[in-house]
Amino acid sequence: MTVAVTDFRELARDLLPQGASYEACIACGLCASGCPASGLFGMDPRRFIRMAALGLNEELSSTPWIWTCTQCKRCMYVCPMGIDASVLVGAARATWPMDKKPSGIVRSCQAQMRDDSTSAMGLRTEDFLEIIEETAEEIRDDDSRFAKLQIPIDKKNAQFIINQNSREPAVEPEELGPLWKIFDYVGADWTYSSKGWAAENFCMFTGDDDVWKSMVETRVDAINELKAKTWINTECGHSFYTMWKGIEKFGLEADFEAGNLISYYAQWIRQGKLPVNSDWNRDNLKFTVQDPCQLIRKSSGDPVADDLRFVAKILVGEDNFIDMQPCRSANYCCGGGGGFLQAGMTSERRAYGKRKYDQIITTKADYVLTPCHNCHSQMEDIGKFYGGDYKVVHFWTLICLSLGILGPNERKYLGPDLAGTGDE
Amino acid sequence: MKRGYRHIKTRLAVIGAGIAGFAASIFALEKAIPVVQLGHTGAIAYTTGYLDLFGVSEAGIIDDPWAGLEQLRRTEPEHPLSRLANEDILTAFEIFTTVLSKMGIGYTVPGSENLHGLLPAGLIKPTLSVPATMLSGIKAMRRNEKTLIIDFEGLAGFSALEFKANFAGKWDQISTHKMSFPGLPSGQAYAETMARAIEVADTRQQLAEKIIQAVNGEKYVGLPAMLGMHEPDEVHADLERLTGLEIFEIPTIPPAVPGIRLREMFERVLPARGLVLEPQLKVKHVDFADQKVHLFLSGPLEDLEVEAETVILATGRFLSGGLNAGRNGLDENLLDLHVSQPPTRNDWYRLDYMDRRGHAINRAGIETDIDMRPLDVNGRPYSDRLFAAGAILAHQDWVRQRCGAGLAIATAYQAVEAAGRFLHG
Repeated sequence: MTVAVTDFRELARDLLPQGASYEACIACGLCASGCPASGLFGMDPRRFIRMAALGLNEELSSTPWIWTCTQCKRCMYVCPMGIDASVLVGAARATWPMDKKPSGIVRSCQAQMRDDSTSAMGLRTEDFLEIIEETAEEIRDDDSRFAKLQIPIDKKNAQFIINQNSREPAVEPEELGPLWKIFDYVGADWTYSSKGWAAENFCMFTGDDDVWKSMVETRVDAINELKAKTWINTECGHSFYTMWKGIEKFGLEADFEAGNLISYYAQWIRQGKLPVNSDWNRDNLKFTVQDPCQLIRKSSGDPVADDLRFVAKILVGEDNFIDMQPCRSANYCCGGGGGFLQAGMTSERRAYGKRKYDQIITTKADYVLTPCHNCHSQMEDIGKFYGGDYKVVHFWTLICLSLGILGPNERKYLGPDLAGTGDE
Repeated sequence: MKRGYRHIKTRLAVIGAGIAGFAASIFALEKAIPVVQLGHTGAIAYTTGYLDLFGVSEAGIIDDPWAGLEQLRRTEPEHPLSRLANEDILTAFEIFTTVLSKMGIGYTVPGSENLHGLLPAGLIKPTLSVPATMLSGIKAMRRNEKTLIIDFEGLAGFSALEFKANFAGKWDQISTHKMSFPGLPSGQAYAETMARAIEVADTRQQLAEKIIQAVNGEKYVGLPAMLGMHEPDEVHADLERLTGLEIFEIPTIPPAVPGIRLREMFERVLPARGLVLEPQLKVKHVDFADQKVHLFLSGPLEDLEVEAETVILATGRFLSGGLNAGRNGLDENLLDLHVSQPPTRNDWYRLDYMDRRGHAINRAGIETDIDMRPLDVNGRPYSDRLFAAGAILAHQDWVRQRCGAGLAIATAYQAVEAAGRFLHG
């Protein structure tokens, strides 16, 4: 394949903050050793950095490895010099002609550009609003405890504004319910916006900064207009990073703060607003948790990783929780991030995911909890591919299960062992 | 976007996340001093896992480090280890190795003599304490036992043949074998990848079977260090059970498992024991007020301010960013502390790089009083609340003297003792 040749050393000079330098690399290889993408297409992060330093621009401009790097920044985390290969990978992605980039990522980004929904699944706002209303109506009809459930749209001055991952309204609307029920249970003052409501952003992964910026601008403008105090994504990973990083990178004015759902779950549990416990786990099923790179290592760090564990342990029982190793900020990317899941490189993605699979299997967990949709899909896929028999669930499912408010159609990610549990 | 702000109050802040920094946190936790530790943990992954105290003097390799230290006090009275009592150094080592063993990596009890730790190029390193997974190799070499050394296809930096060749004459009963690691694709392999994979029981079983097929009467088997990352002692014991052999690890060159093991264990276990650890952020600015020290850090989404009563500076030398070598001399990066150093750049190095007397730049660093308080150019403490430990200290040459871990552990112990005395008034 032929693409324009980029001068990566020159590019690095423009990309790096003052005082940082790829020439600080002492070639120790901690980055490559700790990267699940090492070896794919004969490349690894150390080789990529060294080749850039040596001016091997032609080779770097054409290696498909850049689409297997999930930009998870574990290389930077383990590097004593703090060198971030993912920035250079992002720049390399930008140099590829659009028709040569993995079509799945490009299509997702193009879908976002179609209207101001910013939905990567191409779900238009009028359809989103209709699905919401239909789903809410079903819940009101099915469960008298939620007979007055309301889904606020474009409410001004709400405490929380929620960006919604498109997967639920587009393909599994029954999964919208658990989060709404939790908000209703704690009395949260929240709203969706009818503009820029979606919580995904593949335009960062195509390397197209202008479109990345445009997506973030649409969402920021909508939130500013509604004067919401705290912006939250649904249980989600990459969109959280693309939003705050985009605001910072492109110098956008944002009159709100970034929050994340897991920390609010933790807060509501501590305040007694979510009186969850592990009584439902009568069979002592074992659980582990996946720290999404975009949320933990790349954004909020170990304080939120602590919240993940606090919530998980309360929900499943302290003795039924087993951490993967390594974990928290040092966790391995599962291989679902960076657009890899959408890139069509299935065999490489599964090879990447083998390390995650080994981590999960070593815990002997029956379930993996994760708040990220891409992690969710990837861990399900590698589980099936490598023969694991674990299941992957959202936090909202277990919270509602524990509270006895999980509806019969909201259990698609639970196994037969929990099919009837907590169903009152 | 509105940035978050986090404020932490603590009695002790440790700046730096190498062996000295983590040792300081461990000693503080043992004394129930609330402690916050700040700094990038990356460089700790470079350690071999061996904890050397004092291995080499001008006279050569030292077998009795305690007698060696007595001699050091006569020849190098300014050396940081010369200023500490042997019994305090031993106490520091005992606490540190005991805590490491309890945390999940078994270490040998520091004794009266140095052990001869094996190195991948067939050399030995005189060291006071070694990981339990490496001990039987030392025994096998000392007894010239019949031993099989195994290396793996694709693993750079560890060659069984090289190991055997370099031990020729000292350890003759070595045979070698190269194998593929079960389940790994062809191409470059990393010990870290193997260490993760062997934690899966099926992979361990497959490796055990390959080892059994490879041995030919040997009772001992040496492998590059890769026996698990999270629970090495359990993996080691299980592999010995599966094979019926005495198995030992040999540390490899970076990126090596023993250092990554330590890093991940510190990050995983110490917060559970009460340490507040920020393993990614570096301290940007420090203010000494009358009664407090304020440390400022910036994360991706929030600013962090740590309000401490005392501070231990364990920021290392050039690689870790404690010291900076500029055109006009050496500087201390965070507080601009006085750096004891050669008068000019021309005095940094001798003409011969391999000169047995070493180089003056390697003995540059921060000077302290006996309480480990950094001193200004006039010999006065920078602050009663500031202490220093580890490789940033002047008047030592830890690489040549094989005293890096000893320097870190013993001076961290002394610094925490002094900080404790200050805090308790």
